[in-house]
Amino acid sequence: MSENKTHIEDVNREFYDFRYEDKDSFKVDSGLTPEIVEQISREKNDPDWMREFRLKSLEIFHRTKMPDWGPSIEGLDMANIVTYVRPNAERMNTKWEDVPENIKDTFEKLGIPDAERKSLAGVGAQYDSELVYHNVREEVASKGVVYTDIESALRGEYGDMIRDHFMKLVPPTDHKFAALHGAVWSGGSFVYVPSGVSVEIPLQSYFRLNAPGAGQFEHTLIIVEEGADLHFIEGCSAPKYNVANLHAGCVELFVGKNAKLRYSTIENWSKNMYNLNTKRARVEEGGHIEWVSGSFGSHVSYLYPMSILAGSDSRAEFTGVTFAGQGQNLDTGCKIVHLAPRTTSYVNTRSISKDGGISTFRSSVVVDKRAEDSKAAVSCQSLMVDDISRSDTIPAMEINTSKADIGHEAKIGRIPSDAVFYLMSRGVSEEEARALIVSGFADNVSKELPLEYAVEMNNLIRIEMKGAIG
Amino acid sequence: MEKILNKPIANTFAKLGFNGTRVDVVDGVKTQELNVAAGETKLVVIDDSSLELRAEVGAGATLKLIQIRRGGEETGVVDVHVNCLDNAKFEWYRVVLGGDATYDNCSVELSGNESSFEAYVGYRLDGNEVYDGNVESVHTGKNTTTIITASGVLDGEAYKMLKSTIDFRRGCKGASGAENEDVLLMSETVKNKSLPVILCSEEDVDGQHGASIGRLDEGLVFYLESRGLSTESVYELMAAGKLNTIIRKIPDEEIRNGLE
Repeated sequence: MSENKTHIEDVNREFYDFRYEDKDSFKVDSGLTPEIVEQISREKNDPDWMREFRLKSLEIFHRTKMPDWGPSIEGLDMANIVTYVRPNAERMNTKWEDVPENIKDTFEKLGIPDAERKSLAGVGAQYDSELVYHNVREEVASKGVVYTDIESALRGEYGDMIRDHFMKLVPPTDHKFAALHGAVWSGGSFVYVPSGVSVEIPLQSYFRLNAPGAGQFEHTLIIVEEGADLHFIEGCSAPKYNVANLHAGCVELFVGKNAKLRYSTIENWSKNMYNLNTKRARVEEGGHIEWVSGSFGSHVSYLYPMSILAGSDSRAEFTGVTFAGQGQNLDTGCKIVHLAPRTTSYVNTRSISKDGGISTFRSSVVVDKRAEDSKAAVSCQSLMVDDISRSDTIPAMEINTSKADIGHEAKIGRIPSDAVFYLMSRGVSEEEARALIVSGFADNVSKELPLEYAVEMNNLIRIEMKGAIG
Repeated sequence: MEKILNKPIANTFAKLGFNGTRVDVVDGVKTQELNVAAGETKLVVIDDSSLELRAEVGAGATLKLIQIRRGGEETGVVDVHVNCLDNAKFEWYRVVLGGDATYDNCSVELSGNESSFEAYVGYRLDGNEVYDGNVESVHTGKNTTTIITASGVLDGEAYKMLKSTIDFRRGCKGASGAENEDVLLMSETVKNKSLPVILCSEEDVDGQHGASIGRLDEGLVFYLESRGLSTESVYELMAAGKLNTIIRKIPDEEIRNGLE
């Protein structure tokens, strides 16, 4: 007896695909030359050390090879990418009404101001290469929490702190696109949470890339001092164009002694985007980093947030879901390095492939010989929705001490028809049954998000099921 | 069932009915071609020797390959490529009991419907010994099955790398595969690398892998010590247990008893 397949709809992108002409914006020429990098540096009014850092990074970029593993990035021609696009706006506004109308309208449609009013302690909104709006609630600012754009922080009283931390976790020599980021970075947020301060509601940065053929290279630097606590949410989207866009951002997180940071991302770039983002956290003694990651957009993604457990008793958790549809090749996962005694890590991921989409889970757990009494557990599950898609699981484990306990488990399969049948036999409609099973499959991420964002994620996926059980 | 022993290896292969042709000998590595005829079952035992083998297991046939390395200073290189036709079965029993350096590759294609591959890999390494193994199973036939089970013990400054891959190709409907590795680490200076990979371009499959790497549970050690065993004996007992998981699977009593 042949079995009908359960059908899952693509992510509905209509909501994100609106766009405005970027006729009034300022752009550098496409390509990558020292002159362009100098021009960006002048636009940014960089201090000298940063200008030199950019030029040095450019040299590293030119001498570093393209990655020879992972999804193809042959469609990405740096000669055609515009690395800096300044929207037609004042550099940065702290009042929503001062943001230009089309940009304001964009973020209104994406629900950012509404979310700020309802559930956020602060918001940053980046449009192309510049932050156009940044605001933080007074009660949070009064505790000494700094949430601002990284460029004003660089030139202000936190300049030295930024110099001490900027691209120290992700040096430009790390890989070709880290070098590119070092050369042309623009925009992004700086967050500083002083010792003992707990920010009870999340901060959010939202990145929108509007210009066709452009790159976005924002830098996010977060420092959470001893005993402090923060939840930071990052969202990103772009309308679809016929030319390649590039996102090569960089996130550096410093989690102090006994501090806790949750970093949540809902990534929904358009399907012409090459998402070559680098994220890394260093966690000190007793500290805790939690990554919550939803990857839905992009044509190609290379995304592996890395946690360096440098202090004893520190912890890392990574919870992720990846949805690869038609034309998407999403290579996602994480890396965890245990460097100190009694460190623990837990990785829990899900991936869904449909309509020819390719999802690859790639992880690496490294336990150094110093990391005595450490524990790590990795669990990944993949769902194949049809037989034209692909799902690969590549988990690596390197253990260099006997005093460690490492576990790994993975499963791959399809939507169990018997489960759909069972739910239907209990009076649940077929559509509801399928929705229940798939939401259950992805709930490792949604249950870790604040309620409003979990609902948004479920809306984003708009999973619909059709067909009958044979 | 025909049983083939390898001493001396070249003569044994010639005498005992490999119906393929010996191809080459380079640096002590013997390349053999082997065809197991439809419906036939062959048991091949290779002791302490490097080997290159190309085999085809005919419809409904079974090939059982047992390879034991008992140590030694020479570098051991094993490169086995097997294709299984409809309902064919290939079983690979690989035990490495030391040896300065051992490099294994076992690549299997399950091209026939209902064909299967089972790999049992056991290792016990000490000092500066090195084991680098690769096991790969490519599913192209329907309702094909792979089971890869590895269990081992590392002590001293031993280095072990085991890559195991189950590759579900489009069209292998109804296929299933499971990989499992269990590693006991006995010294703080060992190096263990594990890479269990599942590649999948077919929807109707069931694949899973699991790995457990670490030391002995302290509670277990304490319990056994409280029953009169010394710490050393406890470790020895558990190490033997890990290896016996694999040895017990060997389908030849004489070899099994010799190893246990």
